[in-house]
Amino acid sequence: MNPLVPIIGKISKIVDETPDTKTFHVTTSNGKPFTPLPGQLAMVSLPAVGEAMFSISSQGDDHLEFSIKKVGMLTEALHDAEVGQEIGVRGPYGNGFPLDFCKGKDMLFIGGGIGLAPLRSLINYCVANREDFGNLQVIYGARSPADLCFKEELFETWPKVRDMRVDVTVDKGDENWQGNVGFVPAFLEQLNPSPEGKVTVTCGPPIMIKFVLQSLAKMNYQPDNIITTLEMRMKCGVGKCGRCNIGSCYICLDGPVFTLTQLNQLPNEY
Amino acid sequence: MKGIKKSQLSNFLQQVSAKYSLYVPAQVDGVTRFQKYSSEREPFLTANTQLSPKELFFPQTEQLYCYETHKQEVKVEELAASSEPQVLFGVRPCDMQAIGVLDDVFLGKGYEDVYYRAKRANTLIIALACSQAEATCFCDSMGVDPAFAPQADLMMYETEDGYLIEALSDQGKDFLQEFSSALEELRSEKPQAPACELKAETDGLVEKLQKMFEHSVWAELSRKCINCGTCTYLCPTCHCFDIESKTRGGKEVKFRCWDSCMYKEYTLMAGGHNPRPTKKERVRQRFLHKLQYMPERYGKWGCVGCGRCIDKCPVNLDITKVIRELREVEA
Ligand code: SF4
Ligand code: SF4
Ligand code: FES
Repeated sequence: MNPLVPIIGKISKIVDETPDTKTFHVTTSNGKPFTPLPGQLAMVSLPAVGEAMFSISSQGDDHLEFSIKKVGMLTEALHDAEVGQEIGVRGPYGNGFPLDFCKGKDMLFIGGGIGLAPLRSLINYCVANREDFGNLQVIYGARSPADLCFKEELFETWPKVRDMRVDVTVDKGDENWQGNVGFVPAFLEQLNPSPEGKVTVTCGPPIMIKFVLQSLAKMNYQPDNIITTLEMRMKCGVGKCGRCNIGSCYICLDGPVFTLTQLNQLPNEY
Repeated sequence: MKGIKKSQLSNFLQQVSAKYSLYVPAQVDGVTRFQKYSSEREPFLTANTQLSPKELFFPQTEQLYCYETHKQEVKVEELAASSEPQVLFGVRPCDMQAIGVLDDVFLGKGYEDVYYRAKRANTLIIALACSQAEATCFCDSMGVDPAFAPQADLMMYETEDGYLIEALSDQGKDFLQEFSSALEELRSEKPQAPACELKAETDGLVEKLQKMFEHSVWAELSRKCINCGTCTYLCPTCHCFDIESKTRGGKEVKFRCWDSCMYKEYTLMAGGHNPRPTKKERVRQRFLHKLQYMPERYGKWGCVGCGRCIDKCPVNLDITKVIRELREVEA
């Protein structure tokens, strides 16, 4: 097995999430390319354009899902692709979320923008294995109502799940928006969920994470129970090409998931 | 001890090259590096090579796979990662230690790099003890014995009348057996290990560096670096690579090529964020990788004291001076 050579899959479905984000379903003639753990990563390539690492935002019986924001050449080419396009995938890479640690606990997910993508793999895992977890709560924000990803799950699927609540905020509303307006950290403090028995998983723009962590500290959440995921530029995915290290940790192997306690021990270079 | 008379060396190399792909240190176009042996090419054995032997296992560019795209279709064709049996003659102890570092990186931590393994597994290494240290050598500060390379298959020692040779591995023993007719009993003794004049004081360095990530000394140390990357390309342990595409003879090929942590693009993310935006972060990365992260992750130094970066850095950024400064400042 050569970890640098991709498997060829096909885009079987494309969901427009926001004006700049789409979710791609990828399948192969033998079903899904592989079975990742929630939080793991995969290299996605259009061989003629390039290859980049993405979190796997969810999976079905026969496909993997990647939720991809347009930020550069490869992602633009992916956004131009149509159903039926063949693409390369290799993986899964990285550690994934610590499922055993989370089991039996209440789960609080705090996401911003496209940062909900990696959380979604775990949220959907919790939903599919509902009896293994306590209460579920999602606090999610985006710049505007149009920038909210996964609207169907946010407003239809997840709120109907037993003991699960979803709280959504936007930085700036529009004429139809009835929900909360404000930044995620302030919204979090306003909702003020108790840290008791909870594991918190957060992902979003660096500035949001910074203030969310400050709010969580204020609310007495412990670093051991706060989990986040990191992003670095990656090429190999298997700890050889060198570029994804933070200190002696390689994010493609030892990450991308870290507890805040672990993160606090890493050099501040991400 | 058995050995090869100096007058018999080319005869021996010819016998070996008749059976194996043989690489020897040689000077070509003004550069010393490991080259395929030919009888017209005098091996260069008076000092270590300017380019390290890492290129034999981890070439500067290496093809990974071919692909074809047609409308929505993509076809991938894996390229066999194979290699012919090869013999590397005259690897110095520092570079042998560096190959051990590359082995840890490419073959360890859960994933084997098939391209590296194919070549490494098919290579027999004959190391050559150093009888003299260059002004830039400081291997004995980095845990290397300049007169012995325990990870080699065979060890060779230069004496007045020839080269003593002893087997260190089973493959080395078989090799000596195979070429026993080319060996004769030499009367000379193993020479003494040379002492390096250049020193780096490394006791307690890892522990100290663990506290120095945010230190102001990095701005000072990186001031003169021009981020040319020479140090990383010449370094026998540097293993970073990029993966890119090219068209070759009508075929699209994915290849990897050496990359360097000295370049801004190395860590630049698609959205524009760069965790190592200036040379301060990049120079810090290079030295901490060799002197802290490698020891933490693999239990050995990422620098083997070969001195190549000292010799060739255009602005004289000397790793032994860096180590000295890091020791002198308060953590
Ligand atoms: S060779 Fe010298 S100038 Fe060039 S990147 Fe290395 S330290 Fe900097
Ligand atoms: S850092 Fe410099 S002295 Fe050390 S092994 Fe690399 S090239 Fe040689
Ligand atoms: S992506 Fe190559 S080492 Fe992590």
